[in-house]
Amino acid sequence: MSQLSAAVGFGLITASILSIAAVGFTLQFSVTNILNLAYGDIMTACAFAAYLVNRLGVNIWISLVVAALFGAVFSMLLNRFVYFQFVRRGTRLFGMIIVTIAMSLVIQNVLLAIFRPTFFSYHTSPGASYHFGGMIFTASQLGIMGIAVVAMLGVHLISTRTKLGKAMRATATNPGLARSCGIATDQVIDVAWLLSGALCGVAGVVLVLNTATFSEVTGATFLVPVIAAAILGGIGQPYGAMLGALTIGVAGEVAATVISPSYKDVVAFGILILVLLVRPQGILSEVASAKEVAA
Amino acid sequence: MSDSMQFYISTLLIYLFIDIMGVLGLNLQFGVAGIINFAYIVFVAVGAYTCAVLSLGPDYAGNFQHYAFGASWPFPLPILAAGVVSGLLSLIVGVISLRRLRSDYQAMVMLVLSLIATLVATNATGLVNGPAGLATVPQPLADVLNLAPLEYQWVYAGWCAFLTAVIFLFVRGITNSPLGRTLRAMRDNDRAASALGKSVTNLRLMIFVVGGVIAGISGAVFVEFIQAWSPGSWLYPETFVFLAAIIVGGAANNWGVMVGTLLVPVGFLEATRFLPQVFYDGFIEAMQWVCVGLLILLFLWFRPQGLFPERPSRFQPRPQAQPAARPPE
Amino acid sequence: MSAEGISFVLEVNDVRRDFGGVKAVDGASFSAQRGKITGLIGPNGAGKSTLMSIIAGAIKPVSGRITFEGRDLTGLPSHRVARAGIIRTFQMSAEFAKLSVIENLLVAPRAQKGESLLGAELGRMYWGRDEQALVDRARDVLDRFAMTAKENELAGNLSGGQKRLLEIMRALMAEPKMLLLDEPFAGVNPSLARQIEQYLLDLRDEGLSMIMVEHELAVVERVCDPVVVMAQGKVISEGSMHDVGAREEVLNAYLVG
Repeated sequence: MSQLSAAVGFGLITASILSIAAVGFTLQFSVTNILNLAYGDIMTACAFAAYLVNRLGVNIWISLVVAALFGAVFSMLLNRFVYFQFVRRGTRLFGMIIVTIAMSLVIQNVLLAIFRPTFFSYHTSPGASYHFGGMIFTASQLGIMGIAVVAMLGVHLISTRTKLGKAMRATATNPGLARSCGIATDQVIDVAWLLSGALCGVAGVVLVLNTATFSEVTGATFLVPVIAAAILGGIGQPYGAMLGALTIGVAGEVAATVISPSYKDVVAFGILILVLLVRPQGILSEVASAKEVAA
Repeated sequence: MSDSMQFYISTLLIYLFIDIMGVLGLNLQFGVAGIINFAYIVFVAVGAYTCAVLSLGPDYAGNFQHYAFGASWPFPLPILAAGVVSGLLSLIVGVISLRRLRSDYQAMVMLVLSLIATLVATNATGLVNGPAGLATVPQPLADVLNLAPLEYQWVYAGWCAFLTAVIFLFVRGITNSPLGRTLRAMRDNDRAASALGKSVTNLRLMIFVVGGVIAGISGAVFVEFIQAWSPGSWLYPETFVFLAAIIVGGAANNWGVMVGTLLVPVGFLEATRFLPQVFYDGFIEAMQWVCVGLLILLFLWFRPQGLFPERPSRFQPRPQAQPAARPPE
Repeated sequence: MSAEGISFVLEVNDVRRDFGGVKAVDGASFSAQRGKITGLIGPNGAGKSTLMSIIAGAIKPVSGRITFEGRDLTGLPSHRVARAGIIRTFQMSAEFAKLSVIENLLVAPRAQKGESLLGAELGRMYWGRDEQALVDRARDVLDRFAMTAKENELAGNLSGGQKRLLEIMRALMAEPKMLLLDEPFAGVNPSLARQIEQYLLDLRDEGLSMIMVEHELAVVERVCDPVVVMAQGKVISEGSMHDVGAREEVLNAYLVG
């Protein structure tokens, strides 16, 4: 039983990391209708950015902010100068997915070329351990969960309380209509990518904080659970992404403890495939079918 | 010509022909029929594994490798079986996943399937010997022909050339026919094709299976040459090398994608093999992948139709007495 | 089914369809006569395009019946509906962009010998003769619509109006018993629109039944008879344009929108 509650504890940490990443991913999809398969590699790039700063002696939590800034700017520029340009040309959906995968290849291998095929870790200590029921958390992990809560609250508040948030939601639902209502959709999209890029950066750093070592494939490997969480909750829906993250995070860790450690990945894969085939629009989505309604 | 030069060229030719076979199959699925199959390499792998276990003989206790379904079938049965097994698997995967999902979702389903396949092959150790993979796959007809290694290579290159020609003619038979035209129409606008009475789902499934069979055969021929096969040989990015060949050469154009295969997997990747290792071992490989990604992006941007664009059929002009009316604008 | 010598080729009975709570089609019923161009008109959001898509099999109705020439087509997918003889054109150009104009036309005929895998592999010896007959037929259609010069042009390179013509020509090659036209003149320059009108009238005179969704009432008056008026997902009136235009419920529907 204590094993189970410990597993739930791990699940909550994984869910925290996943939710930050998944909300960012789903946000990018909601405003640009693109599944950014390079997202995981951008997470890795941000993790490396934090690593570089951290190596200079800066505290890891401050390096995290640097990584978030890097992620924000990088993602926004990526969309503006690559993705958007292809979309503007009329590249179709499956053309765009090839573009994002090509970017993923480029980013991952540039990182590999720069940093070499070895493992890295941050200069930080996990801190004291705390017990809650059967769950054990280190100070670092509590920090991660705290960041996740703050990030989710932040997204919620921005989305519902600010003009920007309303503009983002309008652009996500119907860009043409939003434009005719006077919303500067181009700028809104830029901001959305800045925001989601920041989340991507934070996710990359906390992912590494939790897994101790990382390499150029760390982010890409994590992308499958991220996409699973985003799609499970309904792609384009931030609250759905949070729900999906919770489900996959906890389910994965419980499966890993109860069945076997290699089953952690299988759960994410399995859930993703099931959702894609059975209910591609996800749990919270209101769309009748996965955006392929005729007429 | 020196022996080592001959070895190099014959090996290169074999790789070229096998890659062409693989690309022709993927081109049918993607270039002609518009099916995005990011899991293509899995079907190549299934063909390779099938051929391998059917040539290695039954597994036994104390064997250094463990696998299921061992047998000692004579050439060319393992290759045929590889095609059949890959075809069957394509049928199953196609039935499950070729539903009316939006096209990028469909692409993701395939991608995730390929990742799952890698997981299974690596972890199910009794199936195809897990991460170590299979080795000592016998070369077909080696003891019957009794040739020196170099001569055997040339014969094998000839065999690959022959198979490639057969597959090329088969694929061309499809693309030059009304079926090819219907497939391209379906690719360009599947709703309109459906509105004209074409059963899009059945057509897609058929081509998916045909492509899978070709993939399996190419994998079988490959494994009989290099005599070993492991999960590392077929990670999902390999499909993107084929994809790059198609995008660069010209999707849906059979000659075009063959040129693309010559340029990308063979030409580019081979040429860069001779560059001296700078910075560290493996730097060149990393840069190769960066270039494959950039190549795809550059071509998608500047020349999406490829070097040799698809060519619509032209028909014999009929004897025309009066001049045709000017079309409206 | 006929009453008083009128022959009804298509019957739509109490069809309903909603999208996430919005009732797009809410119990629509009408009958289309053989050999006539039936207009489907109504204010924005009345459900005309949705109803057309349902008839064409692209969307499934939640309830209701669609009968064509006595055959129940309700819920059949679009390729089956097409094989039964109903061919639709689309509101936004649906040309096969990377195929040439004549290839676009050659896709349309059903049950071509070279379309099966075996047939294709048997080669020109097997399907060549039928193919030549289709090419001749396609060229006749091109001549009729004055598009012969564009035979080998990529369909994606055509102008908007030419793409419209292409869709109609392609539909004709499928030898339809009924054409569903969804705003066939939208985005077409006026002189070409008038030409298309004439083509449609000629086809009607040759016996082809059509249903046309159209916004411009002047066009409807010239081309369509009878006319079916929809509002808020229901059919509120049927009859000739003249009769229908005077009815109170129709005027109200357009005012309220």
